[in-house]
Amino acid sequence: MNVLTVGARAIELDKDGFLVELSDWSTDVASALAAAEDIELSPEHWEILDLLRRFYAEFQLSPATRPLIKYTALKLGPDKGNSLHLNRLFKGTPAKLAAKLAGLPKPTNCL
Amino acid sequence: MAKSLLIISRQSPWSGPGAREALDIVLAGGAFDLPIGLLFLDDGVFQLAAKQDAKALQQKDLSANLQALPMFGVEELFVCAESVAQRGLDSNALSLEDARALSAQEITALIDRYDQVITL
Amino acid sequence: MSTLHVLSHSPFGDDRLTSCLRVIGADDALLLCGDAVYALQPGTAPFTTLQARGLKLYALDEDARARAIAIADWAEAVDYPAFVELSVHHDKVNSWL
Repeated sequence: MNVLTVGARAIELDKDGFLVELSDWSTDVASALAAAEDIELSPEHWEILDLLRRFYAEFQLSPATRPLIKYTALKLGPDKGNSLHLNRLFKGTPAKLAAKLAGLPKPTNCL
Repeated sequence: MAKSLLIISRQSPWSGPGAREALDIVLAGGAFDLPIGLLFLDDGVFQLAAKQDAKALQQKDLSANLQALPMFGVEELFVCAESVAQRGLDSNALSLEDARALSAQEITALIDRYDQVITL
Repeated sequence: MSTLHVLSHSPFGDDRLTSCLRVIGADDALLLCGDAVYALQPGTAPFTTLQARGLKLYALDEDARARAIAIADWAEAVDYPAFVELSVHHDKVNSWL
């Protein structure tokens, strides 16, 4: 079992580094998950993570790349809702990595 | 040009895996940019009843998932008008507002138009 | 474009046959296999409906024999090679799973 230590808390992760309990998520947890991926979260990252959590609240699933881009374009405009921007922020695998940092389940339709 | 695919979803939402499987195929197809359509037929139209509560069964919220279809690029959404009427549902109050109600003849033409059809 | 519709569930207590007949097109055909061959049980509603419709109808011979169902003369008995032949002959196959 993978464990992520945030302050005094030990948080369970699955074999791919996703949260086992989605309710464990907090901004501190997100920062720690990002640090484990060598990412320092900027405001540009946060707005995507926030968006992903809204997507999940609305649709109860994690988006694959294409719907993530579409949703981002819809909510934040085409300057941010494009693969270039999202790939740059999330090391080329935005659907998978951003879902992980946002505390969402692994996207099932993202092979 | 990828072959077009029509999924006919005819299972009720909570009785078994059929409704979920049909949706998963559609979402996966949409994520890969396939030209894909989804028709709700027979008890499948119950998937579109408003105000369902998935939490009551502690299952994944199929109704919420269905709302994601346009985000996955799936815009071709249809319901069988007769199935809706038979089951006492209001075709103007279905949870997928964009789904077009089709007559039997229109469904025949729809099936004809797609390259491949999967009925679940 | 023609579609081969394939049914494998019993028509008794199930809507597949009814719905299939509702949407089947003039150039389409219907193949009955598995428990769907029970639709050819004489004296039943499905039998009467199918007889009256006069569509292109096939039934898998071995499934009918196993269930003691005689294939009516207005339907055509097929074996698996013929089933494959039919699948190829039509533009697509719609299996009502």
